[in-house]
Amino acid sequence: MRQSLRAFLALILLFIPVVLVLLWVSSAKERLAQQVSAAPSTAKAAVASAANADYCTPELQRVLRRVLQSCGLLGSGGGRGCKPLEARQVATMQGSDFNALFVPMADRAGIVQFDRGSAELDAADLALVDQVFADRRGASYFFVVSRASPDGPPGQNQELSRKRAESVLAHLRRSFNDPELDRQVGLLWLGEEYAQLEKSFCNWKRSGPNERCDPKELNRSAFVAWIDCRL
Amino acid sequence: MRPRTLLYVVFFAALFGFLFAAFSTYDFVAHLDRQVHGIHCSFLPGLQNEDASASSGCHVTLMSPYSSVFRRWLWGGIPVSLPAMGLFAFLAYWAINLLWTRRELDPNATGFLAAVATVPFLTSIVMAYLALVELDAVCKLCIGIYTTSTLAFVAALMVWRGARRPREPERTARGDVHREGATPSTYVLRPTPMDRGGVWTAAFLGGAFIALPLVAYAASAPDFSRYVGACGQLAKPENAEDALIPIGPQSGGHEAVEVLDPLCSACKAFEKRLQASGMATELKRKALLFPLDNECNWMVGSAVHPGACALSEAVLCAGAGAEAVLGWAFENQESILQTTKTDPKAAARLVLERFPELKACVGKPAVRARLNRALRWAVANELPVVTPQLFVGNKKVCDEDTDLGMDFVLSRLLRQGGAGPQR
Repeated sequence: MRQSLRAFLALILLFIPVVLVLLWVSSAKERLAQQVSAAPSTAKAAVASAANADYCTPELQRVLRRVLQSCGLLGSGGGRGCKPLEARQVATMQGSDFNALFVPMADRAGIVQFDRGSAELDAADLALVDQVFADRRGASYFFVVSRASPDGPPGQNQELSRKRAESVLAHLRRSFNDPELDRQVGLLWLGEEYAQLEKSFCNWKRSGPNERCDPKELNRSAFVAWIDCRL
Repeated sequence: MRPRTLLYVVFFAALFGFLFAAFSTYDFVAHLDRQVHGIHCSFLPGLQNEDASASSGCHVTLMSPYSSVFRRWLWGGIPVSLPAMGLFAFLAYWAINLLWTRRELDPNATGFLAAVATVPFLTSIVMAYLALVELDAVCKLCIGIYTTSTLAFVAALMVWRGARRPREPERTARGDVHREGATPSTYVLRPTPMDRGGVWTAAFLGGAFIALPLVAYAASAPDFSRYVGACGQLAKPENAEDALIPIGPQSGGHEAVEVLDPLCSACKAFEKRLQASGMATELKRKALLFPLDNECNWMVGSAVHPGACALSEAVLCAGAGAEAVLGWAFENQESILQTTKTDPKAAARLVLERFPELKACVGKPAVRARLNRALRWAVANELPVVTPQLFVGNKKVCDEDTDLGMDFVLSRLLRQGGAGPQR
C-alpha cells in the first residue's frame, strides 16, 4: 500500500511539470493563433517619413512645386539648373502674400545678406548658410530665394539675384558632400521685381550687421530655409 | 537539527524552489505568443502584480542569452528554469520518500539526496555569477531559486553527513534494526542501505523528472519558421554611403544593417545577445544611427532618449573609433539619460569629456547633416520608428524575434544566405 502510494506520488510529481508546461505552451499557441487571424493591428509602429508641417498650405505647396519643376527637381525636368522664372509665374499672388507664406518658418530660415552689387559669400554668410542647412530635420526641400535691392537696372538685378542663389548652391556643394543635393535645393531669384522683404524681416536670423537693417540692405539677400512639406 | 527535520527542510525548500522555477518558466513560455508581457518579479510571485516595466532585473535576465539553451534549434530555446522545475519536483519527492521509508540514516539514499541537491546549488552559483557580473541584474525570482537551492543543498548535506557518522550501537547491531540511544524509547529503524540498483533506479527516475518536461516542451512548442524573413525588407538599400557606419568585424559574409540608438537599453541588450549568440562574426554589420530624440529626429514627438542626438553625432565623428564611443554610451546609458533630463547639453558635454578629440566635430553642421542623411535613409527605406532593428541581407528580422527568438531566426536567415547587395 505504502509502496503504491509512493509510486502514485512520484507519478503526480513527475507529471505536474509536464502538464503545466503543456498547458502554458498551448495557451501561448492559442494567443498566437488569435493574433495571426485577427485584423492587422492598428498599434503598429509609425513608419519613418519626411516632415509635413502645418504651415505647408496648398499655396506654399503650389509655389514649391513650381520652383522645383523649374529646377528640374520634380517630374521630367532638365535636371540641375533652375530656369529663370517670371516672378508672376511663381505665384499668382501679391508679393506680400508670397512673403507671408514663409513667415511660419521664422525659426528655420536665415537671410544671407550680400554687399551691394556682390554675390560673394563672406564668413558670416557661410556660417549662416551652414547653420540653416545643417538644421534640416525632416524637411525635404531647401529653398534659396534671392533678391536684389531696387538700385540699378532691373535686368542687372535679376542677374545679380541669380548669381546670389547660385553662390549659395555652390557653397552647399562644396561644404556638404550630399549626393542628393541636386534633388533637394530649389533656387528662385526674384531680382527687384517681386516680393521685396519688408522691415519686419529684420528680426529674422541674418548674416548682416544687426544694428543696421534697412529694406534695401535686407533685399540684397538670399533667403534660405528648409521647407517641411511633402509633395 | 534532527535528520527528519532536515528532510522536511529539504522538502519545503524544494517545494518553494519548484514554485519559483514554475513562475519563471511560465513567464518565459508566455512569450511564445510573440507578444510583450509583464513578468513576475517578486519574492512572493503570484501575490504581487506582474512587472510590465521591461526594465526590471527579472526582465533583463529573462531576455538574456543565459535564460535558455539550444536557442538555434528551438525558438527561444529551452528555458533553464524548466529542468529546474523537474529537478525540484524530484528533490521534493525524494525527500518525502526518505521520510516515509524512514531512510534518513541510510548513507546511500541520503547521499543520493545530497548529490541531487548539488545540481541546483551549483547551477545557482553559476547563474548568480552571470546575473550579477555579466548582466548586472538582480532578479527576485532567481534569488528565490538560489536561496531555496542553497537551503536544500545545505540541509541535504547535513542529513547525509549525519547518516554517514558512525554510532556506537551500530557497530554491534544486526539486521535492519539498530539501537541508536541508551534507552529503548530512542530505538530508531535504520533500513538496509539502498543498494546500487536502487540508486540507479532513483537516478533514472530523477532523469525522467527532468527529461519529460523538456520533451513535452520541445514537442509542443510552436513552429516559428514561417516568420523567418517574413517581416519586410529594405525598400532602397542603395545610396547608404556615409549614412551607415561599420560595426563589429567586417569579415563576415552576410551584409547586415542594425538600426540603433546609443541610449536605447533594448539596443544594448540586443547587442549583448548578438555577441553571445556567436553569430555577430558571421555578419558584416553596419549601424544606422536612429536616435529617438526630437532634437534631431523629427519622427518622434518628444525626446524618448534625450541626448541621443549628441551621442549619435559623436559616434559618427569618431570614424574608426565609433565602436568605442558606442560601447561607452551603452555602458553609461542610465547616468547619461538622468543627467541630460535636467541639463539638455549634458550628453554632449559628457561624451566630449570622455573623447576630447571629437570636440572639433560634435555639434558642427557637417556631422549634423550626416546624421540627418542617416535619418533620411530610414525614411527612404520606410523603416518603422523603433529600435533596435536588424536586417540581414535586405530581410528584416521581425521585431518579435530580436530577443528570445534571435538565435533561431538569425541562424536560419544566415543559412538562407542573406548576402544582399553591397552597400
